[in-house]
Amino acid sequence: MRIGEHAARWSLCALAWLAALSLLDASLSQARADATLDKVKTRGVIVAGVILSGPPYGFIDPSTHQQVGFNLDLAEEIAHQLGVKLETVTVTPPNRVPFLQQGKVDFLLANMQWTEERAEILTFVPTPYEQSGGAAVVRKASGIKSWADLKGKPVCVSQGSNYTAPLAETYGALPKGYPSQSESLLALKGGNCVAAVHTGATVKLMVADHPDEWKDYEVPFDDELIPSDSVIWLRKGETDTAARLDGIMKDLYRSGWLVETARKNKLAVSSYVLALEAKLKAAP
Amino acid sequence: MIEALIKSFVAAARSLGFNFSFLASAYERGMWLDGIRTTLELAAVTIPASLAAGLVLVLALRSPWYWLAGPSRAFIELTRSTPTLVQLDCAFLALNMLVSAALGGAEHNPLTPFFWCVLVIALHIGAFHAEALRAGVEAVPEPTREAARALGFGRAQVLWRIELPIAFRVALPALVNNLVNLIKLTAIGSAIAVGDITYASIMIWTQHDNVVELMLFILLLFGALNFIVSRAGRWLEARVRIPGHGV
Repeated sequence: MRIGEHAARWSLCALAWLAALSLLDASLSQARADATLDKVKTRGVIVAGVILSGPPYGFIDPSTHQQVGFNLDLAEEIAHQLGVKLETVTVTPPNRVPFLQQGKVDFLLANMQWTEERAEILTFVPTPYEQSGGAAVVRKASGIKSWADLKGKPVCVSQGSNYTAPLAETYGALPKGYPSQSESLLALKGGNCVAAVHTGATVKLMVADHPDEWKDYEVPFDDELIPSDSVIWLRKGETDTAARLDGIMKDLYRSGWLVETARKNKLAVSSYVLALEAKLKAAP
Repeated sequence: MIEALIKSFVAAARSLGFNFSFLASAYERGMWLDGIRTTLELAAVTIPASLAAGLVLVLALRSPWYWLAGPSRAFIELTRSTPTLVQLDCAFLALNMLVSAALGGAEHNPLTPFFWCVLVIALHIGAFHAEALRAGVEAVPEPTREAARALGFGRAQVLWRIELPIAFRVALPALVNNLVNLIKLTAIGSAIAVGDITYASIMIWTQHDNVVELMLFILLLFGALNFIVSRAGRWLEARVRIPGHGV
């Protein structure tokens, strides 16, 4: 009898918590009508969530202590085009979506590729700013010459990397996720995995720019893992903001700013981006 | 049958606004279930290892030889005053690399991330156990010790048969408290890809952006584990209580 009462009380309590949480979630999503553009104009400030995972996308310049990189340049240019000031908030893969949904940032420029599932919970700017895929860094003597050679072997990735599932499911590798790219690369050097797989542009630049540190390592093959569009993400339903930013993105392609800025940041411009630029220039 | 059950659960959760779609993917479901199992394994291996470490440390601490007591004291002070996560990174990313180099390459190194995780947590919590046991030993009344010596017990016998059994009872609430902390500490394994429930959840929620759903489950799992540990502690306290000793 008493046990029954206890159980009933506990489950009621748990149910109440669940109900409260789902209400909270619902109210948060309803408060998200497309108010961002108005808010940005009245404040005179737009807040970008950027990821500082390393060059060429975003990092802190050791000499000036400023945030620099392609993501920062693009965020700055978007703010400039909107006629407002830019503020940045550093985000990480686990907190970027909650930060956006809770209004801590107005948009995300956080190396986040388009996926069907994300498109269900967020709105995105249709014109991508890049297309990127994964590349593998391996020890020169490892004998790994293609993705298939990773079968059954431990591979270091960042926690939350898009490459985890294809590495495991398509190539039968054993992905090991480390908190960030730097720990993953340290684990590669420590011999805890045979390869580290990260965004192609980042690791190719790293190996090329630091020949002393990476002399025993190489990126042995060029075909990238699941190349996909990197897009700007917005809160669900913010279609006006998406349309406004899409106009800006198209202009940045047409004026050549985007490709130029990518090159300035040593971001290897993919053929996809070049084709997109040519297409937009031809059909304004 | 099971697949159908999972599908209807995912759909029901979705109608409540929760995203559990990862359960429908065999790969992610496997990783998640593995995570639960790994957390349980970590707890099951680390609890006895930490108790053994605590016992060894307190024995060294109480020994009459300064070359044993001194290093033991230094180890306890260093271990309990530095962050466990830093120790784990040091052990796995630095020490493990040295071990690999000494053995002539990583392929000859049998030490896994799981091993380093158990070692670091067991020694860290072991230092706290040692301090709790020391308090217990010092709480043994002097007349009890004298009485034992009068009956002809030697130094080691007094320690083993009189002091430690009483110390264990006195220290039990503190030891259980340390074990509760230990269970929570197993989550740091996620930093070196040990594959516990926290790691599995991070890997999943960065793909599906369903942090709240998985976080709720992690809280429930650790809550349930620690409920069991503290209940077992209470049971043991009642079981080994010495009538008339303490309250």
